[in-house]
Amino acid sequence: MFPPWLAGGLVYASALSLTAGGITLLYITTRTFNFAHASMATFGFYITYIFYSFRGGNLYQYLPLSFLFGSLLGIICYIGLNRPLLKRQASTITLMMSTLGYDLILLSIIQMLCDYLSYTFKLYPRRVTMSAFDFEMFGTSAASIITPLIAITILTLLHLFLTRTKFGISMRASIENPILASASGINSDKVYLMSWVIGGGMAALGGAVMSLTMTGTPVMGMTVIPYMFAGAILGGLENIYGGILGGFIVGLAEYVGIYYLAVKVGPWILGYRMALPLLIMAITLLLFPRGLAGIQWSYLLESIKRARKGAKS
Amino acid sequence: MRNIGDVLKQNLMKREVIISLVMLLVLTYLAISLGFPIIFSTLILFFIFSIVTLSLNLEVGHTGISQFGRVIAVIAGAFVVGAIPGRILAFLYGLPFGLEYADDAVNYKVVPLIHKILEKDIALALGFLLFCLVLAGLSGALIGWLTSRPAIRLREAYLGISLLAFGDFFMWVGHNWEPLVGGTTAVFIPDPFRIVWGYRMQAVAFTLLAILVLVYLFIERITKSPFGRTLKMLRDSPLVSRVYGKDIVKIRTQSLVIGSAIAAIGGALYVIYTGTCTAIGFTRLTWTFWPWAYMMLGGVGSNIGMVLGVLVLTVSRTLIILYRKSLFGFLLLWGIDPIWLEFTLLGLVIIFIILFMPYGLVPEKSETVLPSGRIKAILESVRKQSSQTPEN
Amino acid sequence: MLNIKNLYSGYLKLKILFDINLEVPTREITVIVGPNGAGKTALLNSIMGIATVFAGEITLDGIQLKNAPPYKVAQLGISYVPQMENVFAELTLRENLMMAGYMLNREELKNKTDQVLDMFPILKGFIHRKAGTLSGGERRMLAIAMGLMRKPKVMLLDELSTDLAPLITKRVMEGIARLRDELGITILLVEQMAKRALEIGDKAYLLVSGEIKYSGRASDLLHHPELSKLYLGVKEVE
Repeated sequence: MFPPWLAGGLVYASALSLTAGGITLLYITTRTFNFAHASMATFGFYITYIFYSFRGGNLYQYLPLSFLFGSLLGIICYIGLNRPLLKRQASTITLMMSTLGYDLILLSIIQMLCDYLSYTFKLYPRRVTMSAFDFEMFGTSAASIITPLIAITILTLLHLFLTRTKFGISMRASIENPILASASGINSDKVYLMSWVIGGGMAALGGAVMSLTMTGTPVMGMTVIPYMFAGAILGGLENIYGGILGGFIVGLAEYVGIYYLAVKVGPWILGYRMALPLLIMAITLLLFPRGLAGIQWSYLLESIKRARKGAKS
Repeated sequence: MRNIGDVLKQNLMKREVIISLVMLLVLTYLAISLGFPIIFSTLILFFIFSIVTLSLNLEVGHTGISQFGRVIAVIAGAFVVGAIPGRILAFLYGLPFGLEYADDAVNYKVVPLIHKILEKDIALALGFLLFCLVLAGLSGALIGWLTSRPAIRLREAYLGISLLAFGDFFMWVGHNWEPLVGGTTAVFIPDPFRIVWGYRMQAVAFTLLAILVLVYLFIERITKSPFGRTLKMLRDSPLVSRVYGKDIVKIRTQSLVIGSAIAAIGGALYVIYTGTCTAIGFTRLTWTFWPWAYMMLGGVGSNIGMVLGVLVLTVSRTLIILYRKSLFGFLLLWGIDPIWLEFTLLGLVIIFIILFMPYGLVPEKSETVLPSGRIKAILESVRKQSSQTPEN
Repeated sequence: MLNIKNLYSGYLKLKILFDINLEVPTREITVIVGPNGAGKTALLNSIMGIATVFAGEITLDGIQLKNAPPYKVAQLGISYVPQMENVFAELTLRENLMMAGYMLNREELKNKTDQVLDMFPILKGFIHRKAGTLSGGERRMLAIAMGLMRKPKVMLLDELSTDLAPLITKRVMEGIARLRDELGITILLVEQMAKRALEIGDKAYLLVSGEIKYSGRASDLLHHPELSKLYLGVKEVE
């Protein structure tokens, strides 16, 4: 159904939109740029990998477990690290650095886990090609159909949660005006905890999805995190939908854009594929210092309409 | 009047002094039990990272720029030294110097030939070293100026993340573009310390110490000067500094240019010390996150703190590497290499500092412009005046 | 009802209020007046647990409020209507009311919403609009409506009359008086334009530079020959 470059691009874009959405969610609720997203994603991949290695079957059935484990990592991070710092009203930079510390600890645990798996169970966890365990569907890899669906489902559930449930609305209220929200009797603590549960889960799920299109290594998350951030920044860091969209654009641009350029310019350009998302981010930031969300869309549309009318008359 | 004993006691009880003494004791112990080479390699890393961390502190601690791309300037220094000075020597002595210079099949033959020349001529060797450093400083300044362009426009978090991403970008460029520094393979760097071959480590260490002292004095001088006070004012309140007629853009640019030039010299010294330049080695973990951890441990904003932070962590790293088998050997039972504990240590240190010692080992002191005696005198005279004038 | 004893408070390390003693009696309107930057809002924030309390006591019917998080204070029946950003602009009116009545159960929420909307019928028409699209006066109405949603024992109202036309200010003040008379709500009212507030108030405090400079009957302060001129901008009563 899809050519391979598009199939891979869709999987990668879905993974980035999940992770970038999580980063944005955590930033707008707790002002924290979560560096630990890197190792949370890697952990998500290893959970799926471990369960698949030991129990076999369809690998997609283990994705919910990845999500849950990511949530657990998020809860630990919030209770142990983020909450005391938020109480102290720590600066953005301090919050960011604290998650970096957490990320490094997680990374060392992952490395040790890999050593353990290869020594005790004779597995090869340091270079895993998860797509080898995938199956075919409609003449293309199942991942390219299932993972965008997963991303869309998560997005829809998140949207319903935020607009239809009382707790979801209270999350939006806390994001917009934390003081008024807590004066209304909303416990901001619960809101922050919930955003770590969702954000962590999305990170781990994104990591598990990502491993379907790239080689899974202990530093997979570490390598990809600039692009997760690029997606979140492209989205403007103001609402979750922006982050999800930004991640998708960055991911798809990297795969599709580089395929296009390789055909046009030559295959040597494949080595610079990571430059493409950064270029998009840089250009967006230079034109719109607050990302996609900072663009006044209605104003833009209005001026385009006016220009058209002017051209007609 | 305080007697001399009190003064001595006060100074000795300072945290800085105690920590340095403990670290020196550890180093002496290592030197006695394991010999000097390990000490020199630890010290060399300590000197290089001190230079880089001091430059980071100038930008983050004194100016308040969220510099998450320290690796960019380090790369600028390292890659330039990897790519240019060797080529110039090769050109002067009729060796292949074009794009093929960095090709590993050519490079490993060319560099030994250059070494032969450098070995004989001490003036040339010194000149070469100096040229490398100046070149690195210039390219660092250039990259600092370039990064200052977005630094003016973007909010702190956006800027930090963008710089972080571009650090990775430069590393990948070096990794992919072979003519620069050899791509996936390492490019060799002509070694100016060839001439003192038997004592290379010692020579490198003392050169680095000298440069570190110069950098330290330079940064100390800048930060104590009116310019340094302007930087701090800008950090603490951009609005106030604008009200007082300071050009924020200019000041930030200056700080970034100076800081990046120093960091680039650090990067250059590192590749000169190792004798090779591998693009993939310049990760954000080693050259951005480690310096951040050193800086936070030392105490953001304090210069002496930087040196202490690097000292403590470098020595702890050495200890982990040396004693990992004997202390954490039980991990090997499950096949786990204790080397990963280095990451755990780094993470724990960062978290511990943030949670329990937010101001680091040496908290930044609020400095007064005038000596305290003078300020007291002024205050006294003001008080007298106000008591003379009757209240309205 | 609400008692404050020897309160020192501020934000993080910044000290703003010094040795505040204040009493808000049940079913009365207590007015706090004072010039800009006197610490009026900081006082309300200290009661709500938003500002940092360094020393002293804040009690509601004998229950200690000091250092309780804002949501706990709200649960005890204190309802705060801040001066700025007192509605959720990105949420619809219905969601705003729902959030204001966060502590109520489903049944109570519905009844209370109907009741509040009956008090402010003009809001009924905008129920599905985002609060950010309302005009200034409508916003303030919504803010008061949200304050009432919480079934408050005490309402803390911060500068309700800012930017309002004099006639509307008068009407708002009458409305506040009705809250006391008809619903029996205890009110702590902070005002900078003090005249109208003092007219409806029972008790008054004058707050200057973080210290209380006067306490007594509201009418006495209004007619005080020096203070009213110095701090309240009240012209001499003819």
